[in-house]
Amino acid sequence: MAGTRNYDFLIKLLLIGDSGVGKSCCLLRFSEDSFTPSFITTIGIDFKIRTIELDGKRVKLQIWDTAGQERFRTITTAYYRGAMGILLVYDVTDERSFNNIRTWFSNVEQHATEGVNKILIGNKCDWEEKRVVSVERGQQLADELGIPFMEVSAKSNINVEKAFYSLAADIKKRIIDTSKNDQAPAQGVNVSDQNNSIGSMGGKCC
Amino acid sequence: MADPAAKLTPPASPTASFYDLSDDEEGEYNTIMHSSSGRGVKLLFSKSKVYVHPTPSSKDNIPGFIALIQQKNPTSDARPRTSSSSSSKADRATSYLLAWLPESSLGDALDSYVKVELSDASSPPKNTPLVPQPPTSTSHTTPIGTYAFAVPVSEIYSLLIRPPSLGWWFGSVVINTRAGNSFPSLFFHDDECQSTILQKKKLVREKFDPFSEDGGAFWGGDEVLRWLKRYVVVEKSGADPSVYLIEPSAEDKLGFSGKTSTPNSPKLGSKAVGPMSIQGPGAASSSNRDAGMDPVTKALKQARWSFLEKMSQVTSFTRRTAQDIVENPKVPPQVRRLMKNPEVQTLQDEFDSARVYLARWAMGIAEQSERERSQRIFTAQDVLEMEDSDVGEFEILDMEANNLSLAEKRKPLSMKEWRSFFDTKVGRLQVTVDEVKERIFLGGLDPNDGVRKEAWLFLLGVYDWDSTADERKAMINSKRDEFVRLKGAWWERMVDGSGNAEETEWWKEQRGRIEKDVHRTDRQIPLFEGEDIPHPDPDSPFAEVGTNVHLEQMKDMLLTYNEYNRDLGYVQGMSDLLAPIYAVEQDDAVAFWGFVGFMDRMERNFLRDQSGMRTQLLTLDHLVQLMDPTLYLHLQSADSTNFFFFFRMLLVWYKREFEWADVLRLWESLWTDYMSSNFHLFIALAILEKHRDVIMEHLKHFDEVLKYVNELSNTIDLSSTLLRAQALFRRFQRTVEAVDKRNNFPTPSVRQRKPADKPSPPKPSNSGSTSAIDGRRQPGSSAGIDGGEEGKGKTREKVISPELRQLLSRKVEVLDKNGVKEHGGGVGA
Repeated sequence: MAGTRNYDFLIKLLLIGDSGVGKSCCLLRFSEDSFTPSFITTIGIDFKIRTIELDGKRVKLQIWDTAGQERFRTITTAYYRGAMGILLVYDVTDERSFNNIRTWFSNVEQHATEGVNKILIGNKCDWEEKRVVSVERGQQLADELGIPFMEVSAKSNINVEKAFYSLAADIKKRIIDTSKNDQAPAQGVNVSDQNNSIGSMGGKCC
Repeated sequence: MADPAAKLTPPASPTASFYDLSDDEEGEYNTIMHSSSGRGVKLLFSKSKVYVHPTPSSKDNIPGFIALIQQKNPTSDARPRTSSSSSSKADRATSYLLAWLPESSLGDALDSYVKVELSDASSPPKNTPLVPQPPTSTSHTTPIGTYAFAVPVSEIYSLLIRPPSLGWWFGSVVINTRAGNSFPSLFFHDDECQSTILQKKKLVREKFDPFSEDGGAFWGGDEVLRWLKRYVVVEKSGADPSVYLIEPSAEDKLGFSGKTSTPNSPKLGSKAVGPMSIQGPGAASSSNRDAGMDPVTKALKQARWSFLEKMSQVTSFTRRTAQDIVENPKVPPQVRRLMKNPEVQTLQDEFDSARVYLARWAMGIAEQSERERSQRIFTAQDVLEMEDSDVGEFEILDMEANNLSLAEKRKPLSMKEWRSFFDTKVGRLQVTVDEVKERIFLGGLDPNDGVRKEAWLFLLGVYDWDSTADERKAMINSKRDEFVRLKGAWWERMVDGSGNAEETEWWKEQRGRIEKDVHRTDRQIPLFEGEDIPHPDPDSPFAEVGTNVHLEQMKDMLLTYNEYNRDLGYVQGMSDLLAPIYAVEQDDAVAFWGFVGFMDRMERNFLRDQSGMRTQLLTLDHLVQLMDPTLYLHLQSADSTNFFFFFRMLLVWYKREFEWADVLRLWESLWTDYMSSNFHLFIALAILEKHRDVIMEHLKHFDEVLKYVNELSNTIDLSSTLLRAQALFRRFQRTVEAVDKRNNFPTPSVRQRKPADKPSPPKPSNSGSTSAIDGRRQPGSSAGIDGGEEGKGKTREKVISPELRQLLSRKVEVLDKNGVKEHGGGVGA
């Protein structure tokens, strides 16, 4: 599709993690810069859009938000495929959500595109008195999984922006910057391929 | 990006804005008067939520009041006038000001404005409140920060009035002065405006007709005209029905065809005012000139204004949209040229998710008109009129003709009528169950008189339809005991730790999950709103925010359900299903059993392998294939035939798509199984059909379809959707009958495909539990209706899939325990 467009690249991200860790809140903070304490549970799947600038390029982020409960995993994993970056989110005040990150990670390994960029996110870091997962443990797990790590707070607007930007930058580096050398257009990143990449996101869920 | 100059900040304080006017007026405004001092001006009429839209972003909209003000001593008032026009005839009008003031500028006077607004609008208030004199202005040349204006009515040449209509979200008024200036469009956000809402209601009450005398729907601008007419002569221009002349001279009346108002009207889109100026003065002057134009040009001009007005409402849009429009061969060249206009392009830059937006835009217009209509009681005729009937002729008319009392049946069922269904001696139903169900299916239950509390227990299977009052009493007593027992069981296990470690852990986890979800379920409903008691468990993550007794009961009921149905476990969405039942019953034991009844049919939605959801999505796939093949093809091309965008709607029965009150109404209809035990799929089809043109025209990819459908939430009109779903069901039924008839006809039988080989009995599938589960075919296999590959070459044979046949059944499919275990569950899994 030639003609004017308002972005140079399209990047698809996916938020996963246990229910209630604050995936939708992080997304709301990033896409609309707002926060609601009594959010509703996410049912099914949805996405939001935000266009950012990276190295002078307009990068459109399409960020998919999923229901957290593992009961819905059979359906949500269908959406792993099109993602170029995945944010694995846990809640620093919820031990279980942290322990489940390994499960989420292996799910990603199983269903997502190979080499997909990942980042580990510990949300609710403003809530020190309730914290049960220390920064060190978070970092340790991230090192073990070999992925970047960041603690954020959607509520207090700490690091949310940074987390998304850094993931997007990594993806851009991996796909866009390297594809120039290979001549092989990376999957669905260039806007001209947009149709394909969106199509693959659709996936057959059943 | 919007022109930075257009980023207007509302005046910080009244004085700030009032001083910004010309120097020679400053002296006067230094002494801003307050009503208490007795030296203000009379506020005759005011209306709130009248907005100026200074930029394309709705964030920048400035809410204010439009007001009609009477100055005390117009003659002694040495207000300079820029226009020297006919002060003699306008003496009367001079004493009146038509003003617009931002809410933020009113300060203490706000109360008076609100009071006047809400005073009985049929006559001027007896004690007219005095308010500070607003700054008078006759031109609008320096708009930055000073949107407030008050124009002597004598200086107004005409008002350009656009009622809200199919083309426009909000009605608007533009003031054109005798000197040829135009003020910014004032947009009437009627749905936010208290007085307009009240007046509308009153009209409906009194006349049972929300439409004003001249046929249009009542809106805020009507009141402005009505009040002006009280003090000055207002005449509708013969040349352009949207122009109203104020105190027109004879020659105005005659000669209003061209030159009159704007000798040097500002150019389109003059930078100083930003995008808005395009539609303010530009539109005003253009419509004045319209009279002499050929109809095509005039229509285009109007389209342009409508387009720009629309553009000013929205927050984001991409150039791609414009590109799409421009490249669309159907778009007339004039519009295409307009779209290429740099001004318009700037506006579009802000937009995002272009097609989704455009689609929503198109639909919003249709929705708006639909909602207006629905203020009357819906008749089938209405739906027929507004439907494009893409799925063919609707059959509601037949229905209506067969049963003249149908309109009666579409009224909510009251407690009184409900009581009359039961004999007075033993309290047994004395009409047929079907009669009662039909009544509830069509009319719903009265939301206010408490009938729901009782009737829902029948619908949810807590009470037998043929029980006596005594039997019901006994039943509920034993159910209470049972509830207490179940509740005690998990309580003991969790608190006393009498179970094994693994089990205790599982229960703790379940409790955590449930707690998290209950605290974010329907908190906007007053019942669940409060946080007035301390959390019983100080270790809970919610210990700090507090809780309320109803939230605690919700948690207990959901945990008790876990005890009752241990194979399933708590799954997200269940809290959504329980909340309305609890809110209606307001008794935990009773609500619990109602929930159990509801879950019997909803259980399949929550299985671990999601087989129940898949079956429903697959059935919907078949249904759309059969009922609207064109749309189906489009969805196929958009990779959207997984119908995943209906997941949420099907999972919790549209709980997130409709407002609370509508959800209750919808559910009680669905519970009757009056037409089909899967009538909720026809609701899905009705929603899809309603939007099918928009989807086919604008949405090309799965993500666009998903976004569009997700964002329908809270925009769907329930009563028309219900009617549409009924019509679609009848049509479906007839289609199946027709196919069966043809297939029973023995001619081409050799080639006939066999899968649906049962000799098509009219209602074959009352088989209950199994069929829901075995529908595990892939959607890609086009299992549904057409003959697939076997039918190659010749015209496709229609075959009714078992999934579709199931839709004709009124029997609820309840999973047996083994089914639940097999397909995923709680403790065992």
